[in-house]
Amino acid sequence: MTFLEPLLLWGLPLALLPVIIHLFNRLRHRSIDWGAMMFLLSATRKSTRYARLRQWLILLLRVLALVGLVLAVARPLAGQWLGWMFQTAPEVIVVVLDRSASMEARMPGGNVSKRAEALRVLAEAAQSYRESSRFVLFDTALRTPTEVGDPQALPQLSTAGATDTAADIPATLQAVVEWAQRNKVGHFEIWLASDLQASNWQPENQQWKVLTTQMAALPQTVRVRLLVFDQPPVGESWSVSISEVVRRPKAEPPEVEVVMVIDRNNPAPAPMPVSIGSDGTRAQVDLELTGPSYRYRHKLPVESATASGWGRVELPADDNPRDNVAYFVYGPPVVLRSLVVSDEPAVGRILALAAAPYVNETNFVAEVIHPDRASSVVWSDYAMVLWHAAPPAGPVAAQLQQYLEEGGAVWMFAHGRPGSFEGISWGEPQEAEEGKSWPITQWQRQDGLLANTEENIVLPLNELEVRRRQPLGGAGTALASYEDRVPFLVRRVVGRGELVACSVGIWPEWSNLREGWVLVPAVQRLLQAGGRRFTQAGMLSCGQIIPAGAGEVWTCLEGSKDIRLHAGVYRSGLRMVAMNRPPAENEVETIEPSKARTLFGPVSVQMLGDRKQGEGRLQSELWRLFLFAMLVFLLAEAVLILPSKPESAPLTPFQVKGGTP
Amino acid sequence: MAERGGRTFLDPKVVARLVQQPMGTRLPMIGSVAGLHRSPHRGSSVEFAEYRKYAPGDDIRRVDWRVYARTDRFYVKEFEADTNLRCYLILDCSGSMAFRAEGRDSKLDYAKRLIATLAYLLIHQGDAAGLVCLSDRMLWDIPPKRNPRHLQALFDVLEEVSARGETALIRSLHEVAERVRQRALVMIFSDFFCPAEPLLECFQHLRFQKHDVVAFHLMDRLELDFPFDRPMRFVDLESPETLLSEPAVIRDQYLKAVRAHLTALREGCNRFAVELQTVATDENYEMVLRAFLRGRALKIR
Repeated sequence: MTFLEPLLLWGLPLALLPVIIHLFNRLRHRSIDWGAMMFLLSATRKSTRYARLRQWLILLLRVLALVGLVLAVARPLAGQWLGWMFQTAPEVIVVVLDRSASMEARMPGGNVSKRAEALRVLAEAAQSYRESSRFVLFDTALRTPTEVGDPQALPQLSTAGATDTAADIPATLQAVVEWAQRNKVGHFEIWLASDLQASNWQPENQQWKVLTTQMAALPQTVRVRLLVFDQPPVGESWSVSISEVVRRPKAEPPEVEVVMVIDRNNPAPAPMPVSIGSDGTRAQVDLELTGPSYRYRHKLPVESATASGWGRVELPADDNPRDNVAYFVYGPPVVLRSLVVSDEPAVGRILALAAAPYVNETNFVAEVIHPDRASSVVWSDYAMVLWHAAPPAGPVAAQLQQYLEEGGAVWMFAHGRPGSFEGISWGEPQEAEEGKSWPITQWQRQDGLLANTEENIVLPLNELEVRRRQPLGGAGTALASYEDRVPFLVRRVVGRGELVACSVGIWPEWSNLREGWVLVPAVQRLLQAGGRRFTQAGMLSCGQIIPAGAGEVWTCLEGSKDIRLHAGVYRSGLRMVAMNRPPAENEVETIEPSKARTLFGPVSVQMLGDRKQGEGRLQSELWRLFLFAMLVFLLAEAVLILPSKPESAPLTPFQVKGGTP
Repeated sequence: MAERGGRTFLDPKVVARLVQQPMGTRLPMIGSVAGLHRSPHRGSSVEFAEYRKYAPGDDIRRVDWRVYARTDRFYVKEFEADTNLRCYLILDCSGSMAFRAEGRDSKLDYAKRLIATLAYLLIHQGDAAGLVCLSDRMLWDIPPKRNPRHLQALFDVLEEVSARGETALIRSLHEVAERVRQRALVMIFSDFFCPAEPLLECFQHLRFQKHDVVAFHLMDRLELDFPFDRPMRFVDLESPETLLSEPAVIRDQYLKAVRAHLTALREGCNRFAVELQTVATDENYEMVLRAFLRGRALKIR
């Protein structure tokens, strides 16, 4: 048996009070001179076993009544057979509703969204618990509890409406568990309605272990009932998302390039009319889609190189109206600043040129500093850091790590001495044999720093002649490797930023990397990646925390919408942001219901509507039973202490006849 | 008179109120002088009783010649003879008589009030009163006398006696029955904390000797009701014995034992024509005496 208020069990010794009082009374008995010893001795001799038993019984009942009271206030829970005997309806039913955009997909053969159907089924199932249980709604978008007075009103609740957010199921369940712990609710059920989208459930997330451990450790065993809507779309389904908005200031007239991705469940080639609206104008583009994921760059002419504006991309309706629209905003060009840290001016100059190759381009700025001055740098101002010096240590290493965590990009070159940073190590320098070099034979050509150009031109990594190198070790993904499989370039994601480690330096005796065929495009790509937090500051995902001042009021440019929940373009003062569905919502991959069950580990999981009972029985609160037992004990005690019925022969001659003598 | 010498057990006002009520006896008494009570002997008193046939040896002066003249038969005229009575007041002075509840007289003190008042009334109406005090032995044995000065001697003894020792009431009553041969009124004041059967045998013995026996059964209200609710240590007044007890546990049995004892006494007294007066010490002794005296008067009539 477990208790919701186990601390109150310390009151159990109070149950001994009647015994203590009894012993105390015996100790402080009164003495009296007595004449009628004849009757007293006779009574003591004849005092029946029942009379003595009754006294002990009274004492026992008093003790039991107190035990019952203490146990009742400690709110006991019964499991196993006891729980089976006294099972009652759960005190609280927590409805966890997946409000992610994917739940807006239509049910097969109907015109109702999965979310609406889930609400209908939940409300129906709640009917039988209406009188006995409390209902609390936790939605995945806000993760806050909403008391539901009448479960029939579930479909009408604003906190159960459609959103463009993603769902973080483990985080939502975590919020439920914390709420239950905080509010000390009795036994409760979690009714979870979801489409089992893999990106929402995150089956690989380590938080599941923590969560299920917490749930299992709760004094009241929790049961989860799953309501699954993992039906795939019947017909064709597509979605659109905007991956990037790039300004082309050099173009004439100035233009903005909107990079959109159209995902489909049918990879067969098919025409697709795409409507693109911007600043009151609307254009339609007929695309010929191929493959399941189609990437399209749309050039949008703008008034000036510094103009700002917004727009939306829309696909024809399909089974999910929520994923056919994407929004974008663009603003004045952003200056991307790079910092070159080098102890050799010549090397610093070369790297600065790689970071800012255009002389007249004011949007690219590179600064060169000596490593000794690194500690005084305001790192957050820079889109990229090129580090050609001994790996940082001490406070500078900590600052650089913080910079990476916040979304910065760092390229570290070999410097001739072994060292390490953020789990990547540089070994002892190696010299190639006389007249030979280490050729680079493998690199990632699809994406990343060394990917082919938009014109599908391959970067000439095979022309690099590496004569001296420092082998790279530790964690990270090899972007390019030598013939002997030793990594040439390694990338590691740190927080929201990325760290690139190179096995060679810029010196001519090491390699011809300084010639720029590979160095300049790779550095420019890293600069774009590092600068995305500046250039794409206006492109956010629903549910993402907006980096804004407190009290900022966001107004939707298309009707009345909640910036936390709905996609759209929002303005606050001069600032403008486009909120879109998180890209993960376009992923169609789901997990199996059996897999979902296993994620809960020791917690009992049933499918909603499954009436099978058994090991999944809830633990019941038994305080009522103990309170009732206490009352029974008190009643029995009262009956026992009642004076016995007077004998039929009264002591009439001795009745009082007059006053005092 | 009564307060002389500090007699706390005699209240002159009570005596004054009760003196109007003569105390009679249910049985004929054999006294030495004329008195208020019937005698078993027929005599030449003024109160005609009956005619009886003449028998040889009768005094011929008591033959009613008028009846002879009318009927030609000899009849002797008989008259009631009134005489005085001798009363033995027997006081149980065993330890149990010392029991007193808070604010009340002990049973012994209560008995002293009754005895003193009765003794005064008896001597005042010309009867003889004696006092016997008993505990484990005979403490005092003052023979009945009708002299008013004798009253002082009785009061002195009453003043002096206290309750102590075990009771030897049964043995002592048998002794009294054996010793007092002449008819008398025997009044016993005791709590009768002794087995009922032997006690009733004593009463029978006394009745056999033609005594008019009155038993004043004195008990305290605490002894009757046993109203204790906390553990008590009972210390015996007649022996060193103590008993630690839970009154709640034994109350029923105690009351049952008391009732059985009282019932046995009552039935025994009825059987042997002993007048039993049950008195609780919280009763007004004047009322008790008044009821007793009135009862006697009614029975005599």
